[in-house]
Amino acid sequence: MIWSKLSRNRLGLIGLAVIVLNVLVALLAPFIATHDPLQIDVASQAAPPSAKFFFGADEYGRDIFSRVIYGTRISLYVSVLSVLFAAAFGVVLGAMAGYYRGWADSIIMRCMDAIMSFPAILLAIGIMAVLGARLINVVIALGFVYVPRFARIVRGSVLSVKQKEFVEASLAMGNSDAAIIFRHILPNCVAPLIVQATANLAYAILAESSLSFLGLGAPPPAPSWGNILSDARNFMLDNMWMTIFPGLAITLAVLGFNLLGDALRDILDPRLN
Amino acid sequence: MIRYLARRLVYLVPTLLLVAFLVFFLIHLIPGDPAVVMMGPDASPEDLASVRQALGLDQPLWRQFALWMGSLLKGDFGVSIHTRRPVFQSIKERFPVTITLTTLALVFSLLISLPSGVLAAAYHNTQKDYLFMLGTILGVSIPGFWLGLMALLVFSVHLGLFPSTGFVPLWDDFWEGLRFMVLPSITLGVYMAAVVARMTRSSMLEVLRLEYVTHARAKGLSEWKVLTKHALKNAFAPTLTTIGLQYGMLLGGAVVTETVFSLPGLGKYLVTSIYMRDYPVVQGCILFIALVYVLINLAVDLFYSYFDPRVSYQ
Repeated sequence: MIWSKLSRNRLGLIGLAVIVLNVLVALLAPFIATHDPLQIDVASQAAPPSAKFFFGADEYGRDIFSRVIYGTRISLYVSVLSVLFAAAFGVVLGAMAGYYRGWADSIIMRCMDAIMSFPAILLAIGIMAVLGARLINVVIALGFVYVPRFARIVRGSVLSVKQKEFVEASLAMGNSDAAIIFRHILPNCVAPLIVQATANLAYAILAESSLSFLGLGAPPPAPSWGNILSDARNFMLDNMWMTIFPGLAITLAVLGFNLLGDALRDILDPRLN
Repeated sequence: MIRYLARRLVYLVPTLLLVAFLVFFLIHLIPGDPAVVMMGPDASPEDLASVRQALGLDQPLWRQFALWMGSLLKGDFGVSIHTRRPVFQSIKERFPVTITLTTLALVFSLLISLPSGVLAAAYHNTQKDYLFMLGTILGVSIPGFWLGLMALLVFSVHLGLFPSTGFVPLWDDFWEGLRFMVLPSITLGVYMAAVVARMTRSSMLEVLRLEYVTHARAKGLSEWKVLTKHALKNAFAPTLTTIGLQYGMLLGGAVVTETVFSLPGLGKYLVTSIYMRDYPVVQGCILFIALVYVLINLAVDLFYSYFDPRVSYQ
């Protein structure tokens, strides 16, 4: 049903195509890249775009095209894992808050409010400042700051689904709380979760590149898009191309998830439109 | 109203306590001995002991938190390890830059988003509406720091229209100060403009379907009056909530924007302090920005009833 509706949504299809392209580029990076993304070539320092270096070379003579291609891997790795992290914790916490109510609800949701009292990127910066610039730490930091978004959605959905007769029937049959939550309630919360997850993938790509740009993401010389831009910043006056291509790569990836997210929201949860 | 405000402030207490606890706890996430991380592996045992004592790291955790909270309530955000200056003093000096940047970004984004959102709703499902939607989706997809770098290249370096880096306080020289802030505030405001414009459009679409709007049109009012006087005021309430929430994006985004444009604000101070492992400053900046964000959202809630009188303060 989703697919048949999505296939009629042109912008959604474009978004999906962009995402598929990004995934393919990430998976096939060793075959698409023309150079080793870490290979320093002093003779090609700051070389402009050419047949040898499609996007030019950076200040160390590294091929920017190959670095952008491998950067897709880092970006998708961080965004997908951080969203999975946030969704896993958010779903469990939100389901517990909505199902048990009472003090569990109060404690969990006050903690979620506290996390949401910070601008997301600021809290991620704070966590990265203490954990140190490592890729897995970016996943943890971004996953942590996005947990409340999932918890709130699941709690709201659980509150409304919990009143339905099939849940009461399941309770009367003596099913355990966990079985009721995971087998009967959560499947009914999938639609808003998919919409949130898709939107969050876009946020995560932007946030990861911002953290890397600040030197708080993937440690150099990892070819993350933020790192490439951070390196290029000092040389961009004379070598504009160094900044153009990685920025376009980020924009395109985020655009893909945003277009798909909008389409899914229209299809799955028209109330959010 | 005053009772409502008092009640909201009371509700804020547990949230603010948790916020303070999170910030306090940050320093304990540091792998290994925080004193060694801050002072470096070559620090003398005396220096390490002095840092541990200054930060209370030699005390039990609950006591550290109690001491920290006690200091915060007195307005003491600690002392910078590197400069030995009170953190709150440095925050006070830099905050005007950040608030100027975020306020100008807010003004820019509202000037763009409100009229365009209203017009997109008025031209719903036309080519203009589609163009608007495309523009907003691009707005939320372009990374702000990249937009900043591109703006620097084009408008500062190539066209020479604006200075590339630096800051002149608006209260010293308004027009010169504004020239320095145009690019950073536009760069920072684009994302918010796109989000608020989309929200304005969808709220307007909901309101335009209501009977009182049809009634206003039937009375023979001009479409302009119907849109701005009758529809926008009601459609603005949900938009206002979005603006409050998005202000957090501005405060967070200011960290990156200030770094790109070398603005001497709180964000740049935070990033520099992270590089120097000056954790009391990191804690102070993060806590201060979170407090500002919480208070702004409280103010937004209080404004809400003006735009939506159905919201009662009882």
